[in-house]
Amino acid sequence: MSSAPATASFRPRRLLVTLIAAGLIGVLLAMPSDFPAAVVISRTVMTGLLAMIAFSLAERWPRRMPLRFPRWVWQLLATVLVIPPAAFACYSLTTAGDPIWSNPDRIESAAILAFMGLLFGPWVALAGMLSQREAFAREQTLALELTRSELSRVEAEARWRLLQAQATPHFLFNTLANVQALVDAGSPQAASLLSSLTDYLRAAVPHTMDGRSSIAQEVDMTRAYLDIMRTRMPDRLHCDIRVDPAALPLRCPSLVLLTLVENAVRHGIDPSEEGGSIDIDIALESGRCRILVANSMLAQSRAVGPATPGLGTGLVALRERLHLSFGETASLATERSASRFIARVEFAIA
Amino acid sequence: MNTPTALIADDEPLLRDALAARLGEAWPELRVVAMARNGREAVELFERHRPDICFLDVHMPGMNGVEAASLIGRRAHLVFVTAFDQYALPAFDAGAVDYLMKPVQPLRVAQTVSRLQERLHASQPPMDLATVLAALQPPTALRWIRASVGNTLKVICVDDIDYLRADSKYTQVAWRDGKGEPCAALIRTPLKDLLPQLDAASFAQVHRSVVVQLRAIQQLVRHDNETATIHLHGRNETLPVSRSFLAQFRQM
Repeated sequence: MSSAPATASFRPRRLLVTLIAAGLIGVLLAMPSDFPAAVVISRTVMTGLLAMIAFSLAERWPRRMPLRFPRWVWQLLATVLVIPPAAFACYSLTTAGDPIWSNPDRIESAAILAFMGLLFGPWVALAGMLSQREAFAREQTLALELTRSELSRVEAEARWRLLQAQATPHFLFNTLANVQALVDAGSPQAASLLSSLTDYLRAAVPHTMDGRSSIAQEVDMTRAYLDIMRTRMPDRLHCDIRVDPAALPLRCPSLVLLTLVENAVRHGIDPSEEGGSIDIDIALESGRCRILVANSMLAQSRAVGPATPGLGTGLVALRERLHLSFGETASLATERSASRFIARVEFAIA
Repeated sequence: MNTPTALIADDEPLLRDALAARLGEAWPELRVVAMARNGREAVELFERHRPDICFLDVHMPGMNGVEAASLIGRRAHLVFVTAFDQYALPAFDAGAVDYLMKPVQPLRVAQTVSRLQERLHASQPPMDLATVLAALQPPTALRWIRASVGNTLKVICVDDIDYLRADSKYTQVAWRDGKGEPCAALIRTPLKDLLPQLDAASFAQVHRSVVVQLRAIQQLVRHDNETATIHLHGRNETLPVSRSFLAQFRQM
């Protein structure tokens, strides 16, 4: 996970590969030569090391490459350009006596060293870059998998939270008591309440594995939930649902709407003797989908002022989930006025 | 024996009616004299009708069933009604408190009814639930104030109070009703007894005889002689701030 290898200046693996490659070339050159092998090998190794340094410098400098000039070309070019002067320098460093240009044999030997460097250097550099790219891709895949598993974790958490918050024994038995009351009274409303409860429970039980659903599904399960609550508290809950039909097929994180509405009921309606209203508005706006859930608040909550520190855990988890599935294009904002609380979710239409 | 009377408190209308119907089957002589939608109404209606028995839902908006029960005390036989409550149920069982589970089952209603009939017959006083209730609803800052308005009793949520003003032997309570309309009433409890029970984060004493809810303050107008006047949101009357209490507003 750590990005250290990409920025560390010292890489033991790179050094090892350079030493082995340069050593092998050295052995190759030393075989037909009557020179001591150690000297020949030390020349190729030094040349190789200089080429590696050039390769590594080109990897980090300049920090930003000019447009249309890929860094791998620059790294290859740097390696290739450095090899001939490096070869000549190493040769003269390891040779006693006259400067090399006074002796054609020596010039030829240095040229052979440079040639071998040019022959093998770029391939080693290319192989290095390829393996690095592969490692990077592996790392990316790993990170992606991690994000995905993180997403399924928070998704499971959201469902669990919803179950905890609403599909509690208290909610279930109260709702069943209403079903019972309607059945006893022979009311035709019993059937519709029972089917709303079924729809709602199906939503609270995990069924989609990818953590995504559609706006249409979200609206359906939210309607089921609100139907239950309206049957239970007809005098205290008023709601208004407006959905742009064009938004219905859109994909969205599962439970996004239900989490907002459940939050509105719990904090806006439940504590109030007189109840209140919940307004849902889903609209498309310049390439973005906007989900708005507004609820009335108890008068005394106006006390605390415009900003209340922190969201509830449910909304914090929802924000985390939005970011995991949509990245920075998604947002969850809340605002509170004297008597209303508004939660607004926005995300880019994929 | 007089006709036994009962009050039913539940925030869900269908469940109020269902319980009334079940009780009608199990105890035809019982007369349900009042239906309340929350704990506050339950206490107010109890004071008006004085029923023998109160059926109280544990979870209600505003004042819950446990708080209402503490205010009714031993003046009625209490039966709690709940769908589920992981804290209350064990406490009820331990304290031998009567309760019904929602959805209410006819058999259970019949058992409860026969127990109640026995007690009424034997003229047994209602059980003392104070310990059980106190364990469920630890007394924190004062939440409810009972005030007489004319010949009815009002239960006022402390959050709804704008200010309290000492008025000879009484205390004047100024509060907002459910619609936000300003109301006022006199209570017998002296201000100096109420003051220590109020949440210091919401209420401030601004004068020897005035305590104000901080959020009700619209503005504070200073005068030359180190006193000030408080103007309130949505009320015409103003409140005096005396010299010794002005210091707390220096920071504002």
